[in-house]
Amino acid sequence: MSPDQLAQAIISGINDGGEQFLEGTLAAALPVVWLALLGLHLGRPYILDMIDRFTLRLGADLLWLVYVALRDLLIVSGVVMSFMFFFPDVVTGVALPLTGGLAAAVLFGVLLIKLMGDPDHDPRAFTVVTWLLGLGALLYFIPYIFGVQATNVLTDNFQAVSNFLVTSTNPNWAVALAYVSVAALAIMGAVAVGYTLRTGGRAETSDAEELAHSPQA
Amino acid sequence: MNPQDVADAIAQALVQGGSQWLVASLVAFLPAMWTMALILHIGRPYVVRTLRRCGLRLGADVWWMSYLLMRDGVLLATLGISLIFFAPALVANLDFPITGPLATLCLLLALAVKLSRRVDDDVAAFRLATVFLVLGATLYYFPLVFAIEAADQESLKWFADNLTSSANPQLALIIMWISIAGAAIVAAWIFFHALTSVNRKVSSRMPRTADIVQPGRQKAAVS
Repeated sequence: MSPDQLAQAIISGINDGGEQFLEGTLAAALPVVWLALLGLHLGRPYILDMIDRFTLRLGADLLWLVYVALRDLLIVSGVVMSFMFFFPDVVTGVALPLTGGLAAAVLFGVLLIKLMGDPDHDPRAFTVVTWLLGLGALLYFIPYIFGVQATNVLTDNFQAVSNFLVTSTNPNWAVALAYVSVAALAIMGAVAVGYTLRTGGRAETSDAEELAHSPQA
Repeated sequence: MNPQDVADAIAQALVQGGSQWLVASLVAFLPAMWTMALILHIGRPYVVRTLRRCGLRLGADVWWMSYLLMRDGVLLATLGISLIFFAPALVANLDFPITGPLATLCLLLALAVKLSRRVDDDVAAFRLATVFLVLGATLYYFPLVFAIEAADQESLKWFADNLTSSANPQLALIIMWISIAGAAIVAAWIFFHALTSVNRKVSSRMPRTADIVQPGRQKAAVS
């Protein structure tokens, strides 16, 4: 081996290892993000109960704003970090949950409902968001726990099921689901852009109506 | 190979590999930045809806200020990272989306609209900025998903061969030079617009020469 070949081998190792490290870190952080956003969404009654106990309007406003910002930023982060599920080469090369891309699309659907509807004040929209988050969590956690994490400890038929749930051991399904997820995301993205262009970035309901329905009111 | 050769090879690999790793990390981070920028921009109606429910001015101001800082900060950071698409050596040698430089130009145009018009008050300006952002994101995402990140997929081979900058360097460099020219024009326009608007603001705040009363004369007139 010449010095140049050794240098190229090390360069290749640094780049490939770095990429795999980045994707592995994102994949490891995503379950935490999913759990945190689910916890914050389902913890809404607790927050509203706390708000009622504030004697100052300022404290109530700040608690509500911090809660909303944390909850929604986690949802946005979940979508952003799930972007690797839309890359065909990544899903075939890295062991990821098979339906992780669909979970990301569902999470984007939640953002779309938050943009066009009003889940914090419309019980029907809140119910839809809750069901979507539950569905997304199932789509992420079932293949994550029974596939990615259990593939080395299961045997026989269970191992076959486990392999089916992992993208790198089921590349055909993984790529097909990546395309389906990309299509779903593109359609929902187009709807979101159309809505924002139509409203010009404005909220559609009037000030008086919104103040009357304020959670702190 | 003697020990010195090995030491030299490792040193060279760390320098070259470190540089490639830095560029690759920036490129890998760009989809996240673009997505964040788009979501924050398009999510404005939701932010305004939440803002209107704040009972106190302080809460509303904190909320709006945080949103603006994040939204525009992410846009600026995305533009900063996207400037790697204007480096000819990187475009010709690395796997970049072939329309990445055009996406950067669209991002710069969106920022120019924000700089020259009140996007948060003017619906038409907001729509224009949105169109530029969505166009830029599409020019970035499409070759990224279907060419760069699908190079091993046989069914998408045409995209990988034609929409990857290192696989099609001639077209990639033409697109890059056109984008650089566009970016230079936009940057020059932003520069002169900033200059004239500052002069306009300063002159509108300065009193006219005829209105200036000199202390000595005023005194004389009074006496």
